[in-house]
Amino acid sequence: MTQRTRTWLLLAPAGTWFLVMLIIPLTVVFIFSFGERAPSGGVVLAFSFEQYANLPARWAAFKNTMTLAPIGTLSALLIAYPLAYFLAVKANPKWKTILLVLVIVPFWTSILIRSYAWIFLLGGRGIPALLEWVGIEGLRLINTPFAVLIGIIYGYLPLMVFPIYVSLDKLDKRLLEASSDLGAKPWKTFLQITLPLSIPGIATGCMLVFILLMGEYLIPALLGGGKVFFVGNALVDLFLQSRNWAYGSAVAVTLVVVMLITVTIYMRLISRLGASREDVSIM
Amino acid sequence: MENRGYTGNAEPADRKPIGELRGVTKRFGEVLAASDLNLSIAEGEFLSFLGPSGCGKTTALRMLAGFEAPTEGDVLLDGEVVNTLNAHHRPVNMVFQQYALFPHMTVAQNIGYGLRQIRPRIPKAQIAERVSKALDVVRLAGFEDRKIWEMSGGQQQRVALARAIINEPKLLLLDEPMAALDRKLRKEMQIELQDLQRQLGITFVLVTHDQEEALSMSDRICIMREGRIVQIGSPQELYDRPKSRYIADFVGTSNFFNGKLTQLSDELSTVVLDNGMQVQGTVGEGLTGGQDVCISVRPEQMKLNRKGEGLQVAVHNRIFLGEHTEYLVTHETLGDFLVLAPRQAELTEGAFVVGDTATVSWEATAALILDRN
Repeated sequence: MTQRTRTWLLLAPAGTWFLVMLIIPLTVVFIFSFGERAPSGGVVLAFSFEQYANLPARWAAFKNTMTLAPIGTLSALLIAYPLAYFLAVKANPKWKTILLVLVIVPFWTSILIRSYAWIFLLGGRGIPALLEWVGIEGLRLINTPFAVLIGIIYGYLPLMVFPIYVSLDKLDKRLLEASSDLGAKPWKTFLQITLPLSIPGIATGCMLVFILLMGEYLIPALLGGGKVFFVGNALVDLFLQSRNWAYGSAVAVTLVVVMLITVTIYMRLISRLGASREDVSIM
Repeated sequence: MENRGYTGNAEPADRKPIGELRGVTKRFGEVLAASDLNLSIAEGEFLSFLGPSGCGKTTALRMLAGFEAPTEGDVLLDGEVVNTLNAHHRPVNMVFQQYALFPHMTVAQNIGYGLRQIRPRIPKAQIAERVSKALDVVRLAGFEDRKIWEMSGGQQQRVALARAIINEPKLLLLDEPMAALDRKLRKEMQIELQDLQRQLGITFVLVTHDQEEALSMSDRICIMREGRIVQIGSPQELYDRPKSRYIADFVGTSNFFNGKLTQLSDELSTVVLDNGMQVQGTVGEGLTGGQDVCISVRPEQMKLNRKGEGLQVAVHNRIFLGEHTEYLVTHETLGDFLVLAPRQAELTEGAFVVGDTATVSWEATAALILDRN
């Protein structure tokens, strides 16, 4: 077997998967998006931009996605960074493994069950009841953007913690000593050494969380209660309820395009930030 | 005390102490890393901590840098107790073992790092000027905009050096700075470091496990063993008058023969070796009559003769080293030991070959009577 055939053979499973599960369906969706709704549901192939012209009708879904996904990503980053820093730099090596396992433990239970738990916690008999008991009345949490945000942060936090943890863990701790030795106060050392050197981890974590959030469906469905919905929820609605495949396809294509543009801008930004580094290749 | 002539430095004890350890002990949990260290570092001297790994030399350096606080005792800088003063407040800089250069910064940014921390801010132009001056000093002029990973090991070391000296520290600490360099480069850097020290007048404190490095560069060497300082002195002192077998063995090479000190005298004392032979030698400090001792004779102080008085030996092995030839000889009861013959002697008297019999002799004053530990 030549080197070449072996390479192709090894790539074949992933290649086939991408072709069948990604490229072909995307092409189909792309073609459908120019079609029209058949009277009995489904799609009639055509070449019209009617579906795209109707996009503003689903503006709310795009708006929610494009605000809550970045806010959720940023919030997760702000909460995850100190935790990852503690795990990588401060934690006693004896406890490190156990603490890291604790970060993943939530993944052992289905996100569906965990999100249901939040319905309870944020619902009338949960946290609002507790707050009422201490005198804060009339607070509604469930089915608000805040509830969706809580669910998002809760669900995606580990995905943010791990890449940052890895980049901080491999950071040579002598660099921190060198910085201190050269007269930098601890806060300055963090800003000038630790933070810049953990950018690859931050970039990876944000990318992972952001892309997954753009396609999120479950958390808004459960905690947004039909009031706070993402593009993902709109798609389910269009394909399964209204059975308007053409319009659904146009929404899906738009989401993909929006995602591509955002991620491209983001990548550009990151590579400029890390332009002077050798380890930007992690991206 | 004698000092090396070419350093031109005054007696260390006469000069103002810039750094001091007073009864310093450091424990990490149960582990005793440094025990009752007493040491005064004179302004402008080149002092080395020498010892095997785990002897406490790095701990001593880290306490001077401010990365560790002593468990007991006091660390002084410029006459002031600084036990718990953070590293970023100390007028001390360090060259780290693997240099610890900041990978996300250019050479100039690395070197200027210390200056950029100073408040009120130093103007950018002034920082740039001082950076280029520091680069000149370490002979890397023009390398300002290079990335760290584009530099070779030797160049990285110079950058680390420039980064440390630009702040004009009271003490420059060097933690095994040459460990990652190859032999030839190490030799070059040793000479450069010495030049630099004389040129800048900064006090250097070096940590090393390489005796050759310590001997060739230092004004004084502080030998450490199991967390304690066992002897402090100039390289010659340590070589010529080691206090114990451990030091004689660690500094240079020596032959040791065990025996008992039978007669103690200010001039030459007598030792009866384990094989019953009587040998004379100069006695070290703190030894008492009747004590188990060893005598130490350096290989180059032994003379190998065809015949005449001395130990009867057989030549076992011969290694030609250029200016010297090293002979491994065997004595019937004393076992194997080394004799170093100058090339000149071999040229005039002819070399010995393996299997030859010979006699070995030395001046009585060359034999040191030492504690066995």
